Amino acid sequence: MTPSIPIPAQWPARYGDELFRFALSRVSDTDVAEELVQETFLSALDGLATFRAEASERTWLFVILRRKIIDYYRRQARSKQVSLDEIGEGGATEADFFNPENGHWTGPQAPASWLNADAALEQQELHDILLRCQQRLPAQQGAVFAMRFVEELSAEEICQELGLSSANYWVIVHRAKLQLRRCLEKHGLGKN
Amino acid sequence: MLRLINCQNATRLLDQQPDRALPWGTRASLWLHLRYCPYCNRYAKQTVLIAEWARVAAASRASSGPTLPEAAKERMRARLAEAGA
Repeated sequence: MTPSIPIPAQWPARYGDELFRFALSRVSDTDVAEELVQETFLSALDGLATFRAEASERTWLFVILRRKIIDYYRRQARSKQVSLDEIGEGGATEADFFNPENGHWTGPQAPASWLNADAALEQQELHDILLRCQQRLPAQQGAVFAMRFVEELSAEEICQELGLSSANYWVIVHRAKLQLRRCLEKHGLGKN
Repeated sequence: MLRLINCQNATRLLDQQPDRALPWGTRASLWLHLRYCPYCNRYAKQTVLIAEWARVAAASRASSGPTLPEAAKERMRARLAEAGA
């Protein structure tokens, strides 16, 4: 049973594993994940006065960790400031996928059928490939993709967090999706 | 007004759809494009699948990943004690 008064000294033993797994599921780097968990505990200790006894201590710590993860994505996205024209730097632009003259798919980039996607790959394998593909995205695209589709923030919230215009946001999301789709296909989907 | 759109525009709209309600005319243009373009039809399904897989994959990692090493827990306890816990 969760005590109504938090005991910070017990947090690492009680919640450390769960928080660490959660952080690691987002950042894929054990040192960073550990740091995020430590920052979570220290912020929680600082904000102990804001903890309400009727809330769950575990839920409260997860809310703090989630905030830390979003801050981490924000730092990632801003590690290299890019303008709209430069968004494609280090990654593909739409011109790599569509014929500049008529805007239709260029032959080799046209999506193949993924009808047998589930049969072709084990779920774990699919998850691993997707993670590797996500890690290959340019930092800003990777951060926006994770904030939108893993953390499930709204487009508005992401624009606010990252100081993006909505036009800029749409370009980033679209390019991230185009590249992930191609990367997944290259690594086993659509070849059956 | 119904107008013909190309694949680049169609896929942009498909990626905007989860976040904003497209105006009627734009929706109709997209619908028309998807009626005759098998590639964008595939893209429409695949872009949804990618979002779904990303969410499920992270949730699965969060429930089955490694535990926090004991040494890290000890360091954290020490930091908390230093900070007044």
